[in-house]
Amino acid sequence: MIRDETLQEELTAYLDGELESEHRCRVEERLARDPEFRVELQRMQRAWDLLDGLPRSTVDHSFTRTTIEMVTLAAVAEARTQSLEIPRRRRRQAILAALAIAGAALSGFAIGVTLWPNKNRQLLQDLPVIENFELYRHAESIDFLRKLEASKLLDTHGDDQEASDGS
Amino acid sequence: MSITESTARRYELQDPDVRLMLSVRDDNAAAFDELMVRYQDRLITVLDHLTGRRDLAEDLAQDVFLRVYRARKRYVPGAKFSTWLFTIANHVASNALRSRSRRPELNLDSRASGPMGANPLDQMALAASGMMPARQIDKAELREMVRSALANLNERQRMAVLLNKFEDMSYADIATTMELSQEAVKSLLMRARVNLREVLEPYLTEGSVPTDIKG
Repeated sequence: MIRDETLQEELTAYLDGELESEHRCRVEERLARDPEFRVELQRMQRAWDLLDGLPRSTVDHSFTRTTIEMVTLAAVAEARTQSLEIPRRRRRQAILAALAIAGAALSGFAIGVTLWPNKNRQLLQDLPVIENFELYRHAESIDFLRKLEASKLLDTHGDDQEASDGS
Repeated sequence: MSITESTARRYELQDPDVRLMLSVRDDNAAAFDELMVRYQDRLITVLDHLTGRRDLAEDLAQDVFLRVYRARKRYVPGAKFSTWLFTIANHVASNALRSRSRRPELNLDSRASGPMGANPLDQMALAASGMMPARQIDKAELREMVRSALANLNERQRMAVLLNKFEDMSYADIATTMELSQEAVKSLLMRARVNLREVLEPYLTEGSVPTDIKG
């Protein structure tokens, strides 16, 4: 018996018609000149051919019927699951939509706060000017007002401080 | 691995059973019945010889068909239909054999106590040793002997042999079905052939089995 696994693999693939033409030619050449190789091939083929005697199974109608019944039950269960899934899916979709809307509203508010200035804050900041608007109107220019501020002539806060120190 | 549209189209054009399965995908019950009728005997033949038990083979075949039905909506033809079906069968059978090996209850070859009495392989080994006289073998005994020789292969060798012998699958299709390389399939089949030959050698050389076997 040939023990070389590569040769045995080649013989197997040759018998199964799985060899490329080049390999097939090489095997056939060796078969032509090597009687031991030929005997090996014949024995392998004979053992393989014995498998042809194994019985093929056939099933009766009850197998087909019970299988169809099983599949039908699976189909019914699948349909029931799907029908139960529909309201659940719709509810899930409604929740998701509400969450999406709320999320979008929150994001919009955050963006708005970031991008647009707060008008009230601006008004609060300008309150001293608004309160004394009539006085400021008599000033000739912004430069004049700045110089007036720099001279601290109108610094009421400083007067109040001096008054409290004097008392 | 994803299946390209051209591959799916090619198999759809080449294989009528792929077209039937695509009809099953579209909930065509008659197409499923047709596929079952076409494949149930083939599937049970392979599973019967693979597991050594007809009742188990039928249970597994039903499981395979049920899985085919449940997988219909995800079905995209990436191979011949038979290759796809036997890939599922290979998974189902492997799982069943694995779980059975964890809780052994029966010998894999339940037919070991067939017409030949005890395990024919043991008796053939005895015959080969020249310790028993020989007589001509009859057909039923021969079938039993071959069945035992097949059962003596390991699970993967047995599956490769069955797909090659009964399904006439190429090495490439066996490789896809068993999720192996073609080289591995080549090696599996070589070892299987060598094992079968070694076991069946006494019959091959003498054409006989011991007279004591039949009793």
